[in-house]
Amino acid sequence: MFNETVLKEIEEIKARYPDRRSALLPSLYIAQREFGWLSREAMESVSKALNVPEARVRGTASFYAMYKHKPVGRHLIQLCTNISCMILGAEKLVDFLGTKYDVQPNGTSRDNRFSLVIMECIGACGTAPAMLVNTDFHDNLSEKRIEEILDKYK
Amino acid sequence: MITLTINEKEVTLDKPVSILEAARQAGIKIPTLCYHEALKPYGGCRLCVVEVERMPRLQSACTLMAADGMVVTTESEVISKVRRGILEFLLINHPLDCPYCDKAGECELQDLVNKYGPTVGRYKEEKRKVPESHKDQILARNMERCVVCTRCVRMCNDVQGASAITIIGRGDRSRMEPFSSASFNCEYCGNCLTVCPVGAILSRLYIHSFRPWQVDKEVETICSYCGVGCSLVVQVRDDSIKRVIPEMGLGVNKGLLCSRGRFGYEYINSRERLKTPLVKKNGRLEESTWSEALNLVAEKLSEIKKGEGGSAIAGIASPRCSNEDNYAFQKFMRMVCGSNNIDSVSRTGFAAAQKFFEALLGQGITANIIEGLKNSEVIFVVGGDPTSVNPILGLSIREASRRGAKIIVLGNAKGLDRFKNVQVIPPVFKDVDALEELLAGVSRVKGVRGEKLDIDQGIRALSEKYSEKMSLDGLEELKYALLDSPSTSIVFGMDLVQRANGHRAIFAVAGLTYLLEARLYLLSDRPNEQGLIDVGCVPDMLPGGRPLNIHDFKTKFETAWGGSIPDKDGVTLLEIIEGARNNDIKALYIMGENPVFNLPDGPFIKDALGSLDFLVVQDIFLTETAEIADVVLPALGWSEKSGTYTNLERRIQLQKKAVNASSGMEDWKIISEVSGKMGYKMAYSEVEDIMDEIAEVSPLYRDLSYREIAKGNCLWPYHGEPLRGEIHELPAMAESAGNYGSDFYLALEKPLFHSGTLSRRSQALMKICPEPTLKISGAAAEKLGMQDGDRVKVSTSTGSSEVSVSIDESIKDNRVLLSNNFEGRGVFSLLTYKLDPVTKAPGIEGCEVEIQKG
Repeated sequence: MFNETVLKEIEEIKARYPDRRSALLPSLYIAQREFGWLSREAMESVSKALNVPEARVRGTASFYAMYKHKPVGRHLIQLCTNISCMILGAEKLVDFLGTKYDVQPNGTSRDNRFSLVIMECIGACGTAPAMLVNTDFHDNLSEKRIEEILDKYK
Repeated sequence: MITLTINEKEVTLDKPVSILEAARQAGIKIPTLCYHEALKPYGGCRLCVVEVERMPRLQSACTLMAADGMVVTTESEVISKVRRGILEFLLINHPLDCPYCDKAGECELQDLVNKYGPTVGRYKEEKRKVPESHKDQILARNMERCVVCTRCVRMCNDVQGASAITIIGRGDRSRMEPFSSASFNCEYCGNCLTVCPVGAILSRLYIHSFRPWQVDKEVETICSYCGVGCSLVVQVRDDSIKRVIPEMGLGVNKGLLCSRGRFGYEYINSRERLKTPLVKKNGRLEESTWSEALNLVAEKLSEIKKGEGGSAIAGIASPRCSNEDNYAFQKFMRMVCGSNNIDSVSRTGFAAAQKFFEALLGQGITANIIEGLKNSEVIFVVGGDPTSVNPILGLSIREASRRGAKIIVLGNAKGLDRFKNVQVIPPVFKDVDALEELLAGVSRVKGVRGEKLDIDQGIRALSEKYSEKMSLDGLEELKYALLDSPSTSIVFGMDLVQRANGHRAIFAVAGLTYLLEARLYLLSDRPNEQGLIDVGCVPDMLPGGRPLNIHDFKTKFETAWGGSIPDKDGVTLLEIIEGARNNDIKALYIMGENPVFNLPDGPFIKDALGSLDFLVVQDIFLTETAEIADVVLPALGWSEKSGTYTNLERRIQLQKKAVNASSGMEDWKIISEVSGKMGYKMAYSEVEDIMDEIAEVSPLYRDLSYREIAKGNCLWPYHGEPLRGEIHELPAMAESAGNYGSDFYLALEKPLFHSGTLSRRSQALMKICPEPTLKISGAAAEKLGMQDGDRVKVSTSTGSSEVSVSIDESIKDNRVLLSNNFEGRGVFSLLTYKLDPVTKAPGIEGCEVEIQKG
């Protein structure tokens, strides 16, 4: 369950809307931040904090692909493979991440260090290929650059 | 007035409705799938599309309101093509497994495809695969068949208010799931089952056991569980009940049911049913014949009457039996046994409360229509959870809340947790005081009404007793909610009646009802508590609520019945039991009741009944009470016999025979047999004859007949005049409860899934709730270092019991709850009682409890 600080944060969100249900999406992001992903407990906590039925919380959460519906590693890599990135070798980078870091698309490395999600265009076509690690943006990727970058994420 | 044209037919409407409804009124059927009459229009499936002149595109008839001058076409080539297209899309992922789908034959999708549908699908893609889920004990989910009309989800959210299910995922992967994705863990009302148009939600009670067209007969009857008396339809094949379904728009429940009503019918076929009469020989009950058993009863009762007089005989009637059974019973006790000692377990709540309410405010004060709750601005709930005691009444409160009514609660009412606006939970044993304080507060602002002097005086005394400053947080808010309300309903549960000072709670509620001109509803957990009182199964009143001590009434009945009724009022339930203990009562005749289990201080009750000279029990199971009887007579239960029941709003309804499930005899017939053998012939050849007699002698049921009742809407007082007998002096009010020094207090839980011990014999309800659990608060669990499911030993001064613990977030204080539904582990065997001097209801005592890890 959420601690007092988080509950206060949710209270503030609630105050922004005329009804509790409207606060559901931002609260789910908070739950995701706190629990790492939208576990059953995370959704139950949101349900309780907002007094919105558990089933409704789950129904809403399941609609959106950008919530994490299963546990992720310590760092989340989101790599684009849309057209510009693809032409400039993003798919090879996917293979590289698999061999070098043991992480497959929609999977997590066995050491729980990285999770990989193949994402749609992040608007960096001019400097493709590009990826997000957690919330940090990286472009002009190559195998070497990926090694340098990921070295910082232990 | 709105006039429009639908399919070249002129339709005139009194009030604005949707095109769909307007067409229905004109006898034109528009196909639908996501529309359901119990739900709000949704406009999701697009099957109800129609052409409206001068409107672009096709319009969905369920969401478009009819307007003056509209010209609507509901069938055309274009429309058919669109419908066919929609159905083709729906069938892309539908498994078309009609040959073994239970819904085939009553499936809306099947019917629509039959009418409009494509004969061939053009999509070659793989269908989505979702295995049928049997992870829930009661409901099976087949999400391949689901057409995502969301009727189930809307029913669960918007009508039932349980919000247990939802649509998961998106696009063609959408499917309905409960939160857990496996078991529903919900209120198990099964109303999602009612509204599912396809075979996506199925009842595991009858899955694959019959086809809808194989039903031999359908019997429209009423439920046997609680005081609401919901209408339901029993479908029978080969003399066995295949399923129980509601019918939309019918009866009090208008197509909604609760778990007990829908799934609780299996007890009737239980193997534990009594098969033959039993007679105690050499200290053991042995199988016997009807003639031996009936002769013995007649002989013994005659002997005791002759030797000790009629007052040594007593009878306990049953709020589960019909008006006819109970009428015959009290007539037998009064005329044949010569005793007015007739009462029922209803004395522990409903009968006790109602008597005092009527004495204060007049007869019929609790006769209010459940539907009326929906129109209240404020609903004040006190003394129990309406959504578990009377679930369908509870739904009206939830609906009122959705309509904007304020729901205010004193005490715990778990089922209203998401619907309440204000809740105050007084400390243990202080709830009666809190109620009085509330009344004092209201009267301080509002003054008294000056119409009933005794009540005014009582209220004034309370204003003096309590200071202006309220002792509990929230009481002030509660008070103003009541004061500001233009129309108030009070829903009163029986928890506060079961107090040694319960009469004070009743007075406080009566005072509020009087000051606020509120509608009063009494919760009733048995189907015929009201009828029982109406037909005279109380020690001081004859049928029709006529006081026994008014000479004219008594002589009127004596003339009608041809004999004499003893002068003196009889004694009440617990006084009967105590009389048995003291040897004042020698013989007891119990019809359809199990006092050893259903009354507090079980060991004492058992001991008292054990000391009787002669105990007759008439029941459908060998209950704890039947086990110690001298003669046990097998009766017939719900669905095996016909009779009328009067619900808590005083609606008289017919319960009809549907099957022959056992070899018992109707209760009234057994009684008339015994009566005949004791020299008083009851000339009833069938149950209707008894109602004819009641209609003749009881002013409340005057001119009533089965034909009238079958038409529906037979509300009490039917053609008769209620009697206004009021008290003129308030009885002395008892002291407040003292302080108790215990960490935890044991209280009675009234669960949603069980009722008495009948439900224990219904497999479905046992699957939902297989064993009693001790409900404790989260804080208590922490304090005791316990988790959900831990086994504990619960001990009071009376006894102890081993159960598992279940943490219940709705409990906010140091109360722990245990139900009284499971043999050998009922809460009443752990508690004692002290009689309320005014209402004669047993006030629960001895609730200090110790909880140890088992």
